[in-house]
Amino acid sequence: MEESVLTDDLVRQLMNVGEVDILVGLPTYNNVKTVVPVTQAIVAGLLKSFPRERAAIINPDGGSNDGTRERVAEASISDVRHVANLYTLRTLHSISTQYSHTPSTGTALRTILAAADLLRAKACAVISPESTNAQPEWIERLLRPIYSENYDFVAPTYRRHKYEGVLLTNLVYPMTRALYARDLREPYASEFGFSGRLGGQFLGEEVWQHEVGRSGAEISLSLSAITGGYRICQAFLGTKVLADRRSSDLVGAMRQTVGALYWSLEARYSAWSNNSEVQPVPTLGKEYEVTLEPVRVNRKSLRDMFSSGVVELDSVLRSILSDSTMADLQRLAKAQEDEFCYPEGLWARTVYEFAASYHKAVMNRDHIIQALVPLYRGRMCTFMMENRNASAEQVEKNIEVVCREFERQKPYLLERWNGGK
Amino acid sequence: MRDLVVNELTQAWQEIARGFAHLLPRLLVMIIIAFVGWAIAALLRSILRAILRLAKFDRLSESAGATQFLHQAALPSSSELLARFVFWVAWLGFILLGVNVLGIVGLEDYVARFFQLLPRLLVALVILFLGLAAASFFSRAALLAAVNANVRSPRLVGLSIRSMLVILTLAMAFEELGVADVTILTAFGIVFGALMLGLAIAFGLGGKDLAREFLERRFGTAQKEKEEKEDELSPL
Amino acid sequence: MQVQPDALWYKDAIIYQVHVRTFCDSNADGIGDFRGLAQRLDYLQNVGITAIWLMPFFPSPLRDDGYDISDYQSVHPSYGTLDDFKSFLTGAHERGMRVLIEMVLNHTSDQHPWFLESRSSRDNPKRDWYVWNDTDTKYRGVRIIFLDTEMSNWAWDTISKQYYWHRFFSHQPDLNYDNPAVREEMWNVMKFWLEIGVDGFRLDAVPYLVEREGTSCENLPETHAVIREFRARLDKEYPGRMLLAEANQWPADLRAYFAEGEEFHMAFHFPLMPRMFMGLKLEDRKPISEILQQTPAIPSSCQWALFLRNHDELTLEMVTDIERDYMYDVYARDKTMRLNLGIRRRLAPLLENDRRRIELMNGMLLSMPGTPIIYYGDEIGMGDNIYLGDRNGVRTPMQWNGGWNAGFSAADPESLYSPLILNPVYGYQAVNVESQKRSEHSLLSWTQRIIKVRRSSQVFGRGSIEFLYPANHRVLAYVRQLGNDTVLVVNNLSSSAQAVELDLRRYKGSILIEMFGRNIFPRIGELPYLLTMGPYQFYWFRLRRL
Repeated sequence: MEESVLTDDLVRQLMNVGEVDILVGLPTYNNVKTVVPVTQAIVAGLLKSFPRERAAIINPDGGSNDGTRERVAEASISDVRHVANLYTLRTLHSISTQYSHTPSTGTALRTILAAADLLRAKACAVISPESTNAQPEWIERLLRPIYSENYDFVAPTYRRHKYEGVLLTNLVYPMTRALYARDLREPYASEFGFSGRLGGQFLGEEVWQHEVGRSGAEISLSLSAITGGYRICQAFLGTKVLADRRSSDLVGAMRQTVGALYWSLEARYSAWSNNSEVQPVPTLGKEYEVTLEPVRVNRKSLRDMFSSGVVELDSVLRSILSDSTMADLQRLAKAQEDEFCYPEGLWARTVYEFAASYHKAVMNRDHIIQALVPLYRGRMCTFMMENRNASAEQVEKNIEVVCREFERQKPYLLERWNGGK
Repeated sequence: MRDLVVNELTQAWQEIARGFAHLLPRLLVMIIIAFVGWAIAALLRSILRAILRLAKFDRLSESAGATQFLHQAALPSSSELLARFVFWVAWLGFILLGVNVLGIVGLEDYVARFFQLLPRLLVALVILFLGLAAASFFSRAALLAAVNANVRSPRLVGLSIRSMLVILTLAMAFEELGVADVTILTAFGIVFGALMLGLAIAFGLGGKDLAREFLERRFGTAQKEKEEKEDELSPL
Repeated sequence: MQVQPDALWYKDAIIYQVHVRTFCDSNADGIGDFRGLAQRLDYLQNVGITAIWLMPFFPSPLRDDGYDISDYQSVHPSYGTLDDFKSFLTGAHERGMRVLIEMVLNHTSDQHPWFLESRSSRDNPKRDWYVWNDTDTKYRGVRIIFLDTEMSNWAWDTISKQYYWHRFFSHQPDLNYDNPAVREEMWNVMKFWLEIGVDGFRLDAVPYLVEREGTSCENLPETHAVIREFRARLDKEYPGRMLLAEANQWPADLRAYFAEGEEFHMAFHFPLMPRMFMGLKLEDRKPISEILQQTPAIPSSCQWALFLRNHDELTLEMVTDIERDYMYDVYARDKTMRLNLGIRRRLAPLLENDRRRIELMNGMLLSMPGTPIIYYGDEIGMGDNIYLGDRNGVRTPMQWNGGWNAGFSAADPESLYSPLILNPVYGYQAVNVESQKRSEHSLLSWTQRIIKVRRSSQVFGRGSIEFLYPANHRVLAYVRQLGNDTVLVVNNLSSSAQAVELDLRRYKGSILIEMFGRNIFPRIGELPYLLTMGPYQFYWFRLRRL
């Protein structure tokens, strides 16, 4: 219900802003170190690309105590505050609100959607406050297709290191592509653009009534765009600047991505259960880029965590996986270092069996997600091994192989989804 | 004298016969009641079986972990078990009613106590069920968390949590039944206390370095060097 | 009723800008004249006007609408005689109205006897009265003002074979103010009119009086010295008369023309005017509040002259490129409307004949700090004719009634100095004084009422201004104060209804009295004061403490 995301203070601020053409959301939580250049880039981008349009920046904050909100507010342009040497036709508003005392990306997104709906914004974008390499051009790339060319959703593409984002390249991307038949490279994105149409529809969806609405809303938005028949494109934004996140936060990451994906399979069954050709998504700018600097990776620990996970979680995994998959994994857990290989086929099968078990709720669903984590580590280890000397094209080809495997095994998922063990 | 004996015998026989005749209809009634009770109990059993099947009780108990438990104990599935339990309780109830009819003094008291016990038995069963479910859930949660945090011997963690919860549940169930509650309670207290003491000593003595490191990492500002140097990679 | 003697009368004035040619023709020659104008003084008095500013009526070849003067001390025969002017002046003073006339200092017509003499030969005593040079490379880089018609600021004189300097049209040679004889003669010209009784001068094109090599030839210190000289003499010999500067400059540069009260009494605030139109279209107060914030404080005896439109184009010189493009796109899509970096349209067509917007703009004009100038015909909402050349589209005959020649003249319609406006929306049958006089709800009646309210308090003309910045940027709100008199003005610049919360804690305890209906509005308390406003609505509240 909208009342819970819109405090009285926020409503008053929205009332004073009035109708806008462009809305840019900047969700923050204790980002004072990085938020200032991002805000400045947004302001510069709006003034450069949309000087005549009515625009506003909204900053939903999860309870920062380091002055983040104040920094963002300073960047607005009003008749009281001038930014030197910037001749602007209009006031550029900055709306700031605290949506709760604990940060939640889903609630922040919901606040942005609600504001966009009330302000009747035609084109909206969300920018991550950690993207210190944000450019004014991002505003143009994310919003122009929506504002002028009638697109509804603009997903980003990035330049990444080959070992970064393995969860996306080995699970989220292949699964989304195989099941929803769209070649969307970054279904889980921290910055994207969407139209008022799509935003309004997404605001009314069921996802907000559930836990996934708090943590996995971004993927749900991408899926909404795909299954709702909206026009989608991608825009290249440059290097992906990484959050100060450690790989031990893997469980949280998986909840946000895989958990949301699995959850959405229920509601969108009719959309993904059909077999269709994978459609490409038009891209403005480069499609993706892979950088290859050498990084040090502790593959052994990944392998060990995989093996110990398979062994220790034996009772849990048995309830989730089929016997043959279980046997394969156990064999793999005992494998030697140079024989260790978690092939795409087995991986796809694992993911799909998990999805089916999630659907049947063989146990608490959050536990199912947590059980997938050690298995993912094993896959990550194999992927890194395969690509340790690979060129950029080779890496892309390997990812393509994973995607094809997911596509090929889609009938298997359907079988397990509908049938028995 | 023969006449006297015959008379006495006849009188005694007559008394027995009278007593028997007095008892017989009651016995008959009791048998009838028992028979009727059997029929009703059987009916209840099949109705309950159907209801439980519809309510997918088996799945529920599976997720609670009860099924595994029963399987290990070579018992039939939980719905079957429950149905049979209800059958026996119902039939026993009817039998006891019949016994009441017999009018044997002393037995009535026990019968009354049996019927008093019934609701508490139900509550105890519910406690047991919920407790087992909770134990299963929390032990699995602990197991997963331990595995993902790369803690050593995660199964031990899971098992210890499950054991503690099961023991707690049993203690509560017995207390509800009023069966040897003081004994159970005391035993539980001793076991639990000893366990905690043992853990404290173990942790305190053996794990003081670990504890220090943990506290430093959690609340301190200095970043310690990792044992194996590696670059931070983000999954997203 | 006589004109009230008051040294600062111009601060309370309501000025009416009119060209005698356009107003009323008394002798049926198709051209308005002073006798006709004198006949209409009652009308002006009823509207509430207290000062009339006349466009140039001097003898002139009329190649620049009279700003090319060929005789400073006479009246163009089409408009009557000097005596006609004097009786008009008397009539105005009798009705309590003052009269301001033009004084074109910077240049004369090339038909003026002075120039005819000057150019006759290089040795002529008046040679030095104008600015001559052998080449046209002197004062290089100085901007050209009439971009649409002139290529250079120098023109070649075939008679004396030299270039002469002209900042405006080539037939308007600039006078040379470095020559003391020129300065003396121009003072004599002004004295001539002051003796007759005019109450002040609008000095045309003042920034350009003096030229110096290597400068922009605008706003030079020497120019200011000339002005100061004139002002000193004026104060000494004719106290109470007023000098109004026409200087299209940024406010910071305009400040110099007030000096410390030693130069002009008044100056036009040119940059404000386009921004008012911009703010209206953007539905954002930012352009307006920004320019007023950047407007420097002026000496207490000085005053800004504010206007919405005038005889010239709506000038967009003093805006940035991005603002100019925006104004062109929203107000003058048709390129014929654009002229010399401006837009040549009247008030009503610019605002699409929207009565609410017209009222709002007038409301702002009459409540902002300065003396308002109303362009003739805008009080009834006259239209324009963009197909007449140059700026003549906004100088069509005054529409008095729906009859013969709109009541302007008894002559043949084809002989009028300019065709009448004929279309069904703005034509004289639809828009005229007579029909608007009969209705209490016409624009004319409304204008009379608002002028009356404005004149009911000196706070508008003389008071201070303090801007409120409510969070709703579509509302422009400010407080005018003079002594105990406090007035709150709130304007809704948006085409849709708005709610606005004003922080009036400074005035806590005051009761708001709306000045038109004189109804009481709630008292100001601790909480922000909530006002809800209809589209383009404005409020004037008097704050009373009782």
